[in-house]
Amino acid sequence: MAEARKSMIKFKPKKFKVGDTIKVDFIVIHPMDTGLKKDKKTGKVKPAHYIDSITFSLDGKPFTTMKVWETVSTNPYFSVNLKVPGKGKITVDYTDNTGEKNSKSKKLKPKG
Amino acid sequence: MKRRSFIKSICTVSAVAVTMNPSLVVAKEGVPKGANALDYEASVKAITGGKAVTDSAKVSLSVPEIAENGAVVPVKVKVESAMTEVEHVKAIHVLSSKNGNARCADVMLTPMNGKGYFATRIKLGGTQDVVALVEMSDGSFLRAAKPVKVTIGGCG
Repeated sequence: MAEARKSMIKFKPKKFKVGDTIKVDFIVIHPMDTGLKKDKKTGKVKPAHYIDSITFSLDGKPFTTMKVWETVSTNPYFSVNLKVPGKGKITVDYTDNTGEKNSKSKKLKPKG
Repeated sequence: MKRRSFIKSICTVSAVAVTMNPSLVVAKEGVPKGANALDYEASVKAITGGKAVTDSAKVSLSVPEIAENGAVVPVKVKVESAMTEVEHVKAIHVLSSKNGNARCADVMLTPMNGKGYFATRIKLGGTQDVVALVEMSDGSFLRAAKPVKVTIGGCG
């Protein structure tokens, strides 16, 4: 694994109960280079570097998988829904086209 | 006549110079190729496998009418569905009609999601349509498309 990227998982709304449908937002700091842009310092074209697959899972069981291309914006943001079945741990694994793998997790704590 | 021949000679010289340097030709011919060059028509075919696609009011796509910055265009897709084991949204594909690479994201959903919803931000190279292609669990395909005006492109 290369250096860990900054990433964040957010639940909306912050307070929720079992059975509610909440939004699970995932944001990661990533250049998402298309392979078209030039580096301003060196004048050379930057090679393509983008996230190509993302898996959202709850306690190890994937509930959403994504395939992504370089046409997604820099520092990408993805939002999906989840029907809260109870306590658990949300994990987001992501891989980019250079083979770099990372993951981020957050505990799911419904109240009431 | 002297002037004419002079111009001719210049033309041939410059033509030779251009052919000698192939990288220059590519740059001049426009449309540079990115990492993936997936055509819109071809990618729709690849997703649906030739099945019929119907425009449906069940799919609501929200995009800005005018995007000032093509590098960050928010896209939100909502699909009306009960999201049960029998009937749920299987996948949401986000495409753009004129980008060098038409495909943006393929999202595979499960009944655990509770609602057919997906949101992200994409890049658009110019004014074009954003298309949401939705695959339901019964194998049918629904579609929603909306045009977006882009004042500054975001792919180059």
